[in-house]
Amino acid sequence: MSERQIELEVLRYRPEMDDKPFFQTYSVPCQEEWVVLDALNYVKDEMDRTLSYRWSCHMFVCGSCGMAINGEPKLACKAFLRDYQTKIRIEPLSNFPIERDLVIVQDDFIEKLESVKPYIIPKQEKPIDQGEYLQTPAQLKAYKQYSMCINCLLCYSACPQYALEEKFIGPAALALAHRYNMDSRDVGRSAREHVVASHDGIWACSFVGACSQVCPKDVDPAGAIQQVKFTSAVDYLTSFLPGGKR
Amino acid sequence: MSRKPYHREVSKTTWFLKQSRYQHYMLHEISSVFVAIYVGVLIVGLFRLAQGPEAWSGWLAAVTSPIGVIFHILVFIFSIIHTTSWFKAVPQAMRIQRGEEIVPGNLIIGAHYGVWAVVSVVVLLVAGVA
Ligand code: SF4
Repeated sequence: MSERQIELEVLRYRPEMDDKPFFQTYSVPCQEEWVVLDALNYVKDEMDRTLSYRWSCHMFVCGSCGMAINGEPKLACKAFLRDYQTKIRIEPLSNFPIERDLVIVQDDFIEKLESVKPYIIPKQEKPIDQGEYLQTPAQLKAYKQYSMCINCLLCYSACPQYALEEKFIGPAALALAHRYNMDSRDVGRSAREHVVASHDGIWACSFVGACSQVCPKDVDPAGAIQQVKFTSAVDYLTSFLPGGKR
Repeated sequence: MSRKPYHREVSKTTWFLKQSRYQHYMLHEISSVFVAIYVGVLIVGLFRLAQGPEAWSGWLAAVTSPIGVIFHILVFIFSIIHTTSWFKAVPQAMRIQRGEEIVPGNLIIGAHYGVWAVVSVVVLLVAGVA
């Protein structure tokens, strides 16, 4: 196993003593097969215990270790050091306030996620002893891609619309609303509509598409949003037809 | 301990300079302006045609003048940018499921190019160019 010295330039912010963030450089002896998260763990374990960042699973499942690596939103567990030069700049995800060091404040996203009712709203609740709600493979396929979201927030960090308009519900929450709308067991589309199809929902998206490019799980939130725009526009137009809602 | 989150400002005017993918987006958006202007030019041409032969030949002279030709080349380039960037994005907005499979994006994009080619040939035939 070969070793390589990597310079990690990490943005630090310690709210109890700093007025603004600053870069601190750590020179880390790294193994060739390491990811950025391994290098950060080395710093934490061997060099500076005060460094704060989130992580948990180390295998692209928990969605905790999102950060900007050389300016690009990435999961630190999926960013292999072999793909980088010897100097790597690490910052907390952009478009979010910094809580401490690489830890961002996620409250805004959590509220927005709740607002789209990200759970199955069945036509009729049935008791557990009546068994599962059955679904065909084709019905599963319709939404499975959107259910892969791990709430890592890379998409929000890449989205210029969210950066400029913080009321925007944003990519992941809208993709998750779509995920439940597309689920054959769910009838909650109209209950989500007032948030999803609002000015701050899908219509605030100008389809830059950066969210889908950075998504580590190929959820394609940009695609989901455009599809919802289509169904929502059809809803609007058909509401003028005889028997429509209008 | 009380919290003191640090907010980073984003420039409202220069945000798109930050990343090449934002610049591509801007290029795509700006290309629509050229398409819109060209639609305007064609509509003016139609009005000129309705006003009689003199007005029409005046319009024709304007669009075939050196400046008119440069303008056409510019519009052509931006139209290509506009069309190809939209075609590239179509499979995202148009997700077609057949049974348990999603129709591959390249097929959808290919179909768009096919229709584009056919329509272009028809237009050229109707115009008597081809
Ligand atoms: S949509 Fe993708 S990038 Fe956005 S939170 Fe979900 S997994 Fe992360």
